Amino acid sequence: MPQVPNRRVLTGTHFMLGNHAVVEGALAAGCDFFAGYPITPANEISEHMARRLPEVGGKFLQGEDELCSIFAVTGAALAGARAMTATASAGYNYMQEGLEYAIAAEIPCVIVDVQRCRGENFATQADVMQMRWGPSGDHEMIVLAPSSVQELFDTTIRAFNLAEKYRMPVIVMSETTIALMRERLVIPRPEEIEIVHRAKPSVPPEEFLPFQAGPDGVPPLPAFGEGYRVLYSLNPHDERGSIHWDPDVFEAMYRRITHKITTHYDDIVRTESFYLDDARIGVVAYGSECRSALEAVELARAKGIRAGMLKLATVWPVPEREIASLARQCATILAVEMNLGKYAREIERVACGTCQVVRVTKNRGVIHTPGEILEAIEAHA
Amino acid sequence: MMRQDRVALQFCGFGGQGIVLLSVVLGTAAVTRAGLYAVQTQSYGSEARGGECQAELILSKDPIRAPLIDRVDILVAMSQLALNRYLGRLRAGGTLIIDPELVQVPDRADVRILLVPATEIASRIGGRIAANMVMLGFLQGVMGVVSEEDLLDTIRDHVPHKYLELNLEAARQGIALARAQRVQGE
Repeated sequence: MPQVPNRRVLTGTHFMLGNHAVVEGALAAGCDFFAGYPITPANEISEHMARRLPEVGGKFLQGEDELCSIFAVTGAALAGARAMTATASAGYNYMQEGLEYAIAAEIPCVIVDVQRCRGENFATQADVMQMRWGPSGDHEMIVLAPSSVQELFDTTIRAFNLAEKYRMPVIVMSETTIALMRERLVIPRPEEIEIVHRAKPSVPPEEFLPFQAGPDGVPPLPAFGEGYRVLYSLNPHDERGSIHWDPDVFEAMYRRITHKITTHYDDIVRTESFYLDDARIGVVAYGSECRSALEAVELARAKGIRAGMLKLATVWPVPEREIASLARQCATILAVEMNLGKYAREIERVACGTCQVVRVTKNRGVIHTPGEILEAIEAHA
Repeated sequence: MMRQDRVALQFCGFGGQGIVLLSVVLGTAAVTRAGLYAVQTQSYGSEARGGECQAELILSKDPIRAPLIDRVDILVAMSQLALNRYLGRLRAGGTLIIDPELVQVPDRADVRILLVPATEIASRIGGRIAANMVMLGFLQGVMGVVSEEDLLDTIRDHVPHKYLELNLEAARQGIALARAQRVQGE
């Protein structure tokens, strides 16, 4: 089917469902393959993809389960597609094997995980650790945390670009709260959207070593059918792609696939600061919790409390530099999250005793109210 | 233009009445045609029809931080069960809009209660299914959040062609009713 460019990017102001904004972001980023298996509260992503992808010449596949979906995505990505899947917490469990493969074989793809409480559509952020540590093996992860419908759109584009740039699965950490919410979304013109493409080999097939990386640690990636001979395995492999159990070989592989992320901290890690210039009490939040946290900080400011907020747009890798700086500046950090206290451990690790870290937790299917966070701020002001 | 900086609305009834569509059309008109910010959320039972259904909509001149409603400014109730459940959230001084065919006037002296015979009007013009659009038109009259023409255009974007004329006429009737009752305020 021929591609119709103006159907890819729906430039303009919309009142859109969060899950649909993910789809529009993906299409704007050039997504041309989606595979998924039904699960609430991610279904509107699959449903909208099934309608929208054929309009732009893309392919939609409903897998028979999550394993099929994630492996279809990795296969499509190796064949040259910009590929994505979407699921929700329980479905994300099943995808770990595919993720491990995508990390080890360095396959660019995007996974949207709309976190929910088990079996229900209640909102939660209880899977923030699973997104980092779900797959086995030494690895880094890139996990992005949008907090609004606009950010779902923007973040999905960014996820595709980071995936292509670093040859990595990139996770968009969504939540019921924003996924099932309609909100204002402004879609820019196509020429205003940055699209990053994967690096292709610059040498002829006979000289090509598929896992030989340049200084940035990211090997160029030919698509199947372009004449390059490539073997993909999650087992330890050398630069030729051959499975190799020599410890020198596999340690080198693990070092490279982790270093390619850790050495690009400045490019990957993003945070936003609100009222932090003179803050003595710092709220650290990610995802939908940022919204109540910011309102609480503004209420506290109105009462003369020097509070501020650090918003983590990237949750993995941990924004260590920004959190450490906040810990030096503030007497207290409030770690606000919609679970029983998970990411707080990372903040405590980074703060390393420089300041007091207080966990502000909740796992009742709904985000903190501004009043609840304000109460915590006042208690520690 | 909206007279307050921020208005919290709740729509409730049962599945099949178009409660969610009502909130979506008003939110879309506000965002895409009046330059406002809006957040819409919803919940409903797994039944396709007949289960409880409610939608919330925040309209604001400024970006919306917490997408939560603690007190409702305008409550639109299209079933007795739903009204019983949500009436307590309506703030003192708020506005309650009910369809008297479906809901009894509750004992709340501290709120303004407006009666909109939406089902009756919709039935008269050809289909009670369009009662939600009568409510929508009436809300336009109460809130003045978007122009009449912008509201009708937004309905055109959301309703299947086959039922468009019925829905447009239902909205016009609601607008006219609000004008006749001279209700304004939120």
